[in-house]
Amino acid sequence: MRRATTPAIVIVVGVLLLVDFLVVNDSLSQLADLAVNAVILIGGGAAVAAVAALAVRRAGDLWRRRGDPVGAVLVLVGIGAMLIAGLRPGSAGATDPAVRWLISALLVPIAATLFGLLFFTTIAAARRSAAGRGRQALVLVAAAAVMLILLLPFGGEAGDRMSAAASWALDVPIAAVFRGILLGVAILVAVVAARTMLGVGSADE
Amino acid sequence: MSERSRLAGRLAPLALLLVLAATSLLPTDAGLEFPDADASAANRLSNTLDALPDDPLVLLGFDPDLGTYAEVRPTVRTLFADLLERGARLAFISLTPEGRALAVSEIERLQVSDVDGGRLVDLGYLPGAEAGLVSIADVLSGADGDSALGPSALEGESPALAVVVGGNDIGPRSWVEQVEPRVPDLRIAAIVPSVLLPEVQPYVEGGQLSALIATPRDGATYRAAAAVGDFASVAEMDGPPVVSVLLGMLAAIVLLGAGVWSRLIDLARGGRAGEPA
Repeated sequence: MRRATTPAIVIVVGVLLLVDFLVVNDSLSQLADLAVNAVILIGGGAAVAAVAALAVRRAGDLWRRRGDPVGAVLVLVGIGAMLIAGLRPGSAGATDPAVRWLISALLVPIAATLFGLLFFTTIAAARRSAAGRGRQALVLVAAAAVMLILLLPFGGEAGDRMSAAASWALDVPIAAVFRGILLGVAILVAVVAARTMLGVGSADE
Repeated sequence: MSERSRLAGRLAPLALLLVLAATSLLPTDAGLEFPDADASAANRLSNTLDALPDDPLVLLGFDPDLGTYAEVRPTVRTLFADLLERGARLAFISLTPEGRALAVSEIERLQVSDVDGGRLVDLGYLPGAEAGLVSIADVLSGADGDSALGPSALEGESPALAVVVGGNDIGPRSWVEQVEPRVPDLRIAAIVPSVLLPEVQPYVEGGQLSALIATPRDGATYRAAAAVGDFASVAEMDGPPVVSVLLGMLAAIVLLGAGVWSRLIDLARGGRAGEPA
């Protein structure tokens, strides 16, 4: 019985949204809005629950003296600082200057630095995978190196030709493969959706 | 691996950082340039902006991610300046937490740059991913104008253009799939990092996106042509120093090439060892 609940919800909501898109009807529109708003609220609730779970997990780590205590303290202090800034009496919430400062002066620069450092680890990982045993990794890394060469920011006629070659590579072979993958994924999703709606097989089959 | 090579390997990132820092101070990018000879993408964006009415409201679907935002940031900031110079009001809405964080940062920067607060509309963060987009589309089309969860700060006003600043999660593809069929009159332009180009380019060819800037070269071409007037402090016209970018790319090419080369040598040796005597 429980296994039928999820497909039933998917079928009802999916058909409702589809019919609302095709037919102009106020009642249907209100029902569809209800479903969409429910998804939005569930999304917001899930995000809050995820943050709460993270805080509980890190607090538990500290309490039981396991894992990385410094990291746990930083996570909890970060969550606490943002909550205090946004929820203290008199705060303007997400638009409060303290919240904006925490995001602009701390969160964004720290995250940008972290991603900047990923340059080294990503390149090192790609080099190691190319030097390893897999031929697929070799082809992947070689193609990446060729694309990087074509994208070098040289001026003049040589630069224009390299840029044109890079654009062609992006627009034709790479885009063709990418579109093929997207089409394949879309067909797969449609088949799985149809199987679910028709009750053929099951999600955990 | 010897102790010396191990030490050299550990010091390599620091050495590269120092070289990049030094080159960022170099005064000239002689012989190097980002702007592309093919200016069609930049021209398409300029034409889209030229077609805006007076004092337009522009909806910014602001969902870049922190990992790739540095690539598009100069172009995005120049677009802000270009739109403000054209008298536009900018309405920011985000559907991802990362996008919201970056939107807050950019709104803060615009306010510090003395942009009139009345020209910045903060529509906040809307969870629910595609469901949030459907909600936005319904509000824009007037089908759900009194939605409790949609962007009510628009107060019934329809934007003349939507510009999607995309990242890895919610990008132009989602906007084209969810918003374009529901609000067919709303034109959509996009600025995304190169990694999304193969995914998004077909939408330009199909006319679902009126303009797309998706590579550093297209971005530099647009920045070179944009007229930002009184809003030069908002724009980031120069972008990153080309010498630094070149050195970073060369470092990557050398490291990747070394990996490929050593593997090819191994394969050649293995092939010879397997040959019959």
